[in-house]
Amino acid sequence: MSEQILERCRRFIGALAHMRKLQLQVIKADEKSVTVVLPVQDQLVSTAFDTYMHGGVLTTLVDTASSLSTIPALKEYELCPTLDLRIDHMSTPVISQPLYAHAECYRVTRNVLFTRATVYQESPGKPVAYAISTFMRPGAGNTNAAFKAMIDGVDRESASQLSLEQIEAGRV
Amino acid sequence: MSLLQQRVNQAHASGNYQPVIDLIPYAGVIGVQCERFGEEMIFRLPRNPNNIGNPTIPAIHGGVIASFMELTAAFELTLQLKQPALAKNIDFSVDYMQAGLDRDTFAMCTIERQGRRVANCSIIAWQERKSQPIASARGHFLLDSFASLT
Repeated sequence: MSEQILERCRRFIGALAHMRKLQLQVIKADEKSVTVVLPVQDQLVSTAFDTYMHGGVLTTLVDTASSLSTIPALKEYELCPTLDLRIDHMSTPVISQPLYAHAECYRVTRNVLFTRATVYQESPGKPVAYAISTFMRPGAGNTNAAFKAMIDGVDRESASQLSLEQIEAGRV
Repeated sequence: MSLLQQRVNQAHASGNYQPVIDLIPYAGVIGVQCERFGEEMIFRLPRNPNNIGNPTIPAIHGGVIASFMELTAAFELTLQLKQPALAKNIDFSVDYMQAGLDRDTFAMCTIERQGRRVANCSIIAWQERKSQPIASARGHFLLDSFASLT
């Protein structure tokens, strides 16, 4: 089961151009939570600063991790747009270490998903940042069928039929 | 004079803000630009295929929009301060109103209050017109981060 979740998360990350640009990787994913890592990379290292990393990229990392945590929370993939995102920065990350984000979706309702995330470097006990966010569920059949099929790892044709059936079931 | 002070002075004199923006590498990764209109600064995030986070619409990655807004506030503070320091984010909260489509995005920051150590900012981001923002955000920034600069 965890293996499947991990595969779905990896396919999601692989489909996003910006994640490929940042070489973001999913290292752990199970029914409850997802952990991603932002590797140390030259494009994020400033010549003007010695050791610290600026917050900007952390926001992207958190948004992605939180968004990923909605995947195990839902039986079938739904592309949920972010409604709001709040981050508290506890300390400044160093550039010499990878940045980890651990996210979990702690509440699922008919329309909204609630997530929380921790960003850390050395250990989860020493957080760099905390974040909470909410995601809107698009409703059955409103996620692009081909994209959904790709994430869920089902073949395209049966998946598009599946979602058509769902839409029809929803209408009945 | 610090490197930051030098770059800020030069930027104000020449109207080219890129050397200041280049101080934060991630701003370069997503492609932030800045232009000054009188006293106001408008930041631009040009259309960039590498910033896509939803390939089905396609739409810009939500984190990229949030980061762009955060960087907008950080640069606005840095450029408006009498003694430039690179503002450090304490907390940041963003509300998404519309999907950011695969086109140019703009952002502006209003400094609501500026104390000695902390500034309170609100930021809006838009694509077609400012009156129809795609996202709005607010955040607190720490102003005394000279130490991390050479």
